[in-house]
Amino acid sequence: MNFSRIAHNLNYVFSVVLFLLGLYTIAVKPNLVKKIMGLNIMETSVFLFMVSIGMVGSGNAPVVTEGVKPATMVNPIPQALILTGIVVAVSTTAVALSLCIRIHEHYDSLNAFEILGRDELF
Amino acid sequence: MRKAIMLLALAGIGVMLIYAVGEMPPMGDSGNPDKTHVAPRYLEHGEEEAGASNVVTAVRLNYRGYDTMGEVAVIFCALCAVVAVLGREKTGLSRTHMDVSRVKASVVVRTTVRFLVPVIIFFAIYIILHGEETPGGGFQGGAIIGASIILFTLAFGLPESTRKIPLKSRVPLESFAVIAFLAAGFTGILFGANFLTYIMPGLSEHAAETIRQVMMMVIEIGIGFAGGIIFTSIMFAMIREDKYELQPDSS
Amino acid sequence: MDWTLNLLLLTLLLATAIAVIRIRDLLAAAIVFSAYSLVMAILWTQLRAPDLALTEAAVGAGVTTVLFIITIYRTVRKED
Repeated sequence: MNFSRIAHNLNYVFSVVLFLLGLYTIAVKPNLVKKIMGLNIMETSVFLFMVSIGMVGSGNAPVVTEGVKPATMVNPIPQALILTGIVVAVSTTAVALSLCIRIHEHYDSLNAFEILGRDELF
Repeated sequence: MRKAIMLLALAGIGVMLIYAVGEMPPMGDSGNPDKTHVAPRYLEHGEEEAGASNVVTAVRLNYRGYDTMGEVAVIFCALCAVVAVLGREKTGLSRTHMDVSRVKASVVVRTTVRFLVPVIIFFAIYIILHGEETPGGGFQGGAIIGASIILFTLAFGLPESTRKIPLKSRVPLESFAVIAFLAAGFTGILFGANFLTYIMPGLSEHAAETIRQVMMMVIEIGIGFAGGIIFTSIMFAMIREDKYELQPDSS
Repeated sequence: MDWTLNLLLLTLLLATAIAVIRIRDLLAAAIVFSAYSLVMAILWTQLRAPDLALTEAAVGAGVTTVLFIITIYRTVRKED
């Protein structure tokens, strides 16, 4: 493993850790709302990863202004993609949470195991 | 047991991902592969090709217009799904648990919100209209509009809020973004160009530039207002509860 | 880019994420999630993405938190 490169790419390392934390929450926590929070953490970790790829050290925001060379600007494409991604993330969260409300009305519980009626998923 | 298996799997995934991080080019280097293909062109020619000095807006509306159109359709579908699961509110009749209980928001909160909401909406309109020159645009402004209406609802209650923005005035606005995008797209076809072309062929340079600015403005306003109203409608559908609903004759 | 501030923000992000997962009171977790989004918004400005910072501050810290709180209000508050 290239440890000096890993130490330099700190943003990537932290987004990997956040991704794993979100995955852990989704897989292990039984509460459905907690699972959705984990999903949100996973989404933001991917956003952080993609925007960090387009980063330029001591760069400028991608807005054309007087006296700023295009070569020193950060990459605008990941930013435009992630902008739509954030709004899609809140839409999926809204749908998932409204399903949670209906599930709670029907089963009177948000615990995935109580809803399934057994203790283990596998 | 489940936890142990999961932790083992996560450790495996984590080692692989961290190894991949070590193989990636150094972060923040201006010679990285992502900055060698289309990004320099977008940054250098974005202003004259796409008509927006904020290159993110140029990419969002022009170079990758299809992406944004699909994304607008996605948030509209999300609203449809929420409404299908939970149902619409009734204007002035739907209530929440907070409206039924005697606890009212304090005078301080209500006065502050009454002063703040117009200012926030004004700021949101500024953000929507200036998306081409400064950071901002339809999605950002729409989210701020939605947040301001949510703030109003939390302070004054759902019946007051639904009376201010009734359902029948929200329904046309919700689909406004998709309609604005399709209208702008088919304008291009009408002039003999491709779908979602902003520069119309066969016109003088000045007229084409004016038409492009108008089209981008219409799309931005459409995304902004529709986004804000969609967030509002989702919130209204989620916060109302059937058991507290008033009957039409008893009000 | 200021590497010290970057590292500080990333550590704060990780700390709030762990807090969201560890706290058993869902309402408290939702509020900490709002703080997580706010740290993320500051990080976007550090990464020269002002558009994302605006959106994250309005959507992540505002709308998503309200949706979580409404859901917790209409269902159960304690995770078990």
